[in-house]
Amino acid sequence: MREEYRLLLPAVVVLAFLVVGPTFYLFYTSFMDWFLRDPYGPRFSGLDNYIKLFQSPDFHVSLTVTLIFSASSVIISILLGLALALLFSTDLRGKTIMRTILVMPIVLPPVVVGFTWKFILSSEVGVIGAYLLRLIGLGDVSLLGDPTLALVSVILADVWGKTPLTFLIFLAGLAAIPPLYYESAMIDGAGRWQVFKSITLPNLTKPLIVALILRTIDAFNSFDVIFVMTKGGPGMATHTLPMLGWKVGFYYFDLGAASAIGVILLLILISISMPLIRIISR
Amino acid sequence: MKTPIHIQIILYLLAIIACGLIVFPIWWIIVASFKTMHQVFQIPPQIIFDPTFDNYRRLFFGGQLINSLFNSLSVSAITVTTSLILSIPAAYSLSTLKNRVGRNVGFWVLSIRMAPAFAVIIPYFIIMYFLRLIDTIWAVAITYLTFAIPFQTWLLKVTLEELPKELEEAALIDGATKTIALFRIILPNAAPMIAATSILTFVLAWNEFLMAFILTSRDARTVPVLITALSGTHRLDWPIMAAISTISMIPAFIFITFVQRYLIKGLTMGAIK
Repeated sequence: MREEYRLLLPAVVVLAFLVVGPTFYLFYTSFMDWFLRDPYGPRFSGLDNYIKLFQSPDFHVSLTVTLIFSASSVIISILLGLALALLFSTDLRGKTIMRTILVMPIVLPPVVVGFTWKFILSSEVGVIGAYLLRLIGLGDVSLLGDPTLALVSVILADVWGKTPLTFLIFLAGLAAIPPLYYESAMIDGAGRWQVFKSITLPNLTKPLIVALILRTIDAFNSFDVIFVMTKGGPGMATHTLPMLGWKVGFYYFDLGAASAIGVILLLILISISMPLIRIISR
Repeated sequence: MKTPIHIQIILYLLAIIACGLIVFPIWWIIVASFKTMHQVFQIPPQIIFDPTFDNYRRLFFGGQLINSLFNSLSVSAITVTTSLILSIPAAYSLSTLKNRVGRNVGFWVLSIRMAPAFAVIIPYFIIMYFLRLIDTIWAVAITYLTFAIPFQTWLLKVTLEELPKELEEAALIDGATKTIALFRIILPNAAPMIAATSILTFVLAWNEFLMAFILTSRDARTVPVLITALSGTHRLDWPIMAAISTISMIPAFIFITFVQRYLIKGLTMGAIK
């Protein structure tokens, strides 16, 4: 036994140092009035940073954008991933190659995903944004320039980049259902829909929760794809919480308020994913 | 259940459309990297055109790409090696420790995955600022360890659990200690798994943007940071950007076939086998 602890110890110590320490430090700085290069240094200010945030309209806009963005991206990517996985659980010819193709976006740099979609949707050079829209007579529509359409665009780009993940999760989930279940259902004379409803779906609960957890974490952290495509604009139409944090912390150098945003993000994610993790690790 | 032929055809078409939607944007950006600025602006877009290698020539002779490529490679390599040294023993230990301590430590390692990158980056920025490490590859690599160590430890733990127990037991019966069993028996047998998880970690580090963006300004910029820096300029040089994007996709292309079997385990941290 003792030897196993010895093997485990170095990683645990380093992780504690790298993760636990900085997390406490984050909470600490979120209660400080602290601008970088401020000659007076950090001063304790209690809940001031949080109060300031909750009163600021920018925070409310960013929170709303984050919630809309995350909910849409998570739900759409889960539905698409499930549909694709069901499609690929039938016997298609050339399945292996097609699966490799479908998985590709998930290993691409998100920054490249963002740039690629910016290139395609651009009203200057884009195949869709400049060419196809003009063909169908919508030449004066600017996909990344209109507030609503810009939000839709970044959601679609994110869905394109992340659906492979949910696809893989559901594919693995479907493969794990014992064929015996289907065989006995068939012997009992169950219909296609009945089999789907009472065998396939209930057996996908765990994959669904895993997909929900991972995608929610992803979506609430979204920065790269949006940053490349719209920089949070036009106006604040695609301005998410991490982006507000970046602007406050590394543009205005208000480290206290930025830490408070970090804490809020952390608490939101913990309160969403902890109960879900509880369910699957039972 | 036999699927009727017309439904099979429809399903097949759907699968091909889905592949098309994935392939087209990637193909289109690669194509654009062989165009001139003038060709990029042509409407309707040109599919057949006179390709130019000018963008790549400009990138590799002069320009900041070489420096950024070097930074990205170093940061990813340092991150992978350091986290491997710590992860292998920890993963082996967790894969055999089936008591409370093992489960709790395992859960803690897994839960670090939930930490939002933005919450991690602020304390790291302040620490690196006072250590005068801002804009060095060390600042970036150290910060990357916060996700690399949990990722590799958990992934290796799950894969090591798949090795036949007899291997280890035989070594232990022969009087080897756990540490010796790890080096003599487990490591050689798990080499392909270790290679696959290392590649995945490499790709994660290679692709990461937010942390590198905040911790670097000029000298230590990684490729993703360079891409956004250039995409923010007033008059966007689309073909050059397309060329950098194409280059930065190379690790993904090389590794996707090799590690596909591990991809699902890696990305879900082994929650699904």
